[in-house]
Amino acid sequence: MTREEVSEKIKKIIFDSVPDRVPEVIADDTVVNNDMAIDSMGFILVICRCEAELGVKIPERKWQKLSTFGEVVDEFMLQLKKANK
Amino acid sequence: MRFSGFQELLEHYAAVSPDAPALIYEDREKKVCSFSALKKLVAEKADAFRSSGKRCIGILSDGSFDCVVTILAANIAGLQVVMLDAFSPSSTLKGSIPYADIDCLWGDEELCEELSPFLTVGPGGNYADRVLFFTSGTTSSSKAVVLTGQSLMSSAWNGSQKLPLDPSDILLCMLPLGHVFGFVCGLLWGLSCGAAVALGRGTRHYMDDCRYYQPTALSAVPSLLGFLLAHEGLNESLRLILIGAGDCPADLLSAVQARNIRVSFGYGLTETSSGVAISTKGDPFAMEICPDDEIILAPDGEILIKAPTCMMQGYYKMPEATAEAIRGGLLYSGDLGRFDDDGLLHITGRKKDVLVLPSGTKIFLPEFESRLAAALGTTELAVVLKDGRPMLVLCGEAEEEETVRKKIRPVMDEYPRGQQIAGIVFRSTPLPRTATGKIQRYKINVN
Repeated sequence: MTREEVSEKIKKIIFDSVPDRVPEVIADDTVVNNDMAIDSMGFILVICRCEAELGVKIPERKWQKLSTFGEVVDEFMLQLKKANK
Repeated sequence: MRFSGFQELLEHYAAVSPDAPALIYEDREKKVCSFSALKKLVAEKADAFRSSGKRCIGILSDGSFDCVVTILAANIAGLQVVMLDAFSPSSTLKGSIPYADIDCLWGDEELCEELSPFLTVGPGGNYADRVLFFTSGTTSSSKAVVLTGQSLMSSAWNGSQKLPLDPSDILLCMLPLGHVFGFVCGLLWGLSCGAAVALGRGTRHYMDDCRYYQPTALSAVPSLLGFLLAHEGLNESLRLILIGAGDCPADLLSAVQARNIRVSFGYGLTETSSGVAISTKGDPFAMEICPDDEIILAPDGEILIKAPTCMMQGYYKMPEATAEAIRGGLLYSGDLGRFDDDGLLHITGRKKDVLVLPSGTKIFLPEFESRLAAALGTTELAVVLKDGRPMLVLCGEAEEEETVRKKIRPVMDEYPRGQQIAGIVFRSTPLPRTATGKIQRYKINVN
């Protein structure tokens, strides 16, 4: 899966999970906490749904470090790459 | 029944109800560990600790069955147990290890390996029965609170006198054990009543743990409760929810009560081994004082606590901070309260410069704001809560928002997401302050 495809999947999940909190444009530097106003529980929901959709898991300890949308996408790309090795 | 420590608890129930379930957990499938089996496992592990020569263990808690067994065993074996938040930034953990004299670690292998260079030779002196909890909130000024197995069990007994559980109950433990509320009200409360404690399966299962374990009782913080309600995460057999560590919005409360689930609030601090007051009747905000505790109000309304059986021994290696917090045998809580006509305690506000998030996490404002001030080059700022989320209030124009965001980003990156600034509010007038220059946060309107 390309980064673009992963990015689109995650955007759709965010929109489905927290539709009232999504800005018109989600860019790589969009800060998940500030710009989307997703609280910590909302973030858990988004990550869990992304994990289920993409079939990989992000170690929970890394969750706290993910700040921007781009970082979330990159982390899933990393886990997908590991899974495909 | 009142127990003097973990050992006595296990011995009692292993004798009177050996086959009763103590812990329910998942290990590829749902498993049950009886009190007698738990006692045996803990004893074996305690023997291993005794022969290891280790004196202080840092627990990077994940709430698992092995984690619980390790905590109980290490305490019984005489090691000083330090509860660490595995999700804290590495830099915080690396500082906590030498500070707390940790000479061995339990937890995620990769993280233990990363932290192992910071291990020390262990503490000197008498450290038996000590269990250290860090005051909640990720900040370099976090203090380790010295509790004991005895004080923790006393706290559990106190709670059970007000909210008894039955041996047929199942208490679901979803909160982090690294926080004293989770440890006492998520774990010890159930075990001390001889009830089964179901160990939550972690963050990924927040939504379905209640359906999986079918608990009858649950301890929760407001943010978790809101999440469970929003996602139909509560089971029908649930009859009691104990809420602690933060203000609970009224709509959450009514949503729970509409499901015929009884709600109780607990009030307490890490320094008092968790709760000192619990609501037991109709109004969840009106709390009875626990049997071992006494609360008096200072002239300014500050809650002063006398808790002889549950009080901390002090802040670890911080005698001055301890002397400031406990004066004349009373803990100065920093919270404000009042007693109603029935003698029930109501929390009315906070005196300390602390924000308490719905997750129970505290933000210590002097440090937090000074770091933001350094990044922005101005002290004309304040952090306040809006809808349970930290907002930065600044004097200036809204057009500056992007610049402000960029400047504070490196600082925010060092804090967990839930503690990061969620929004910026600009105001054209100076921040309201007292005659001595202290910000009057209650006068700041961010809506």
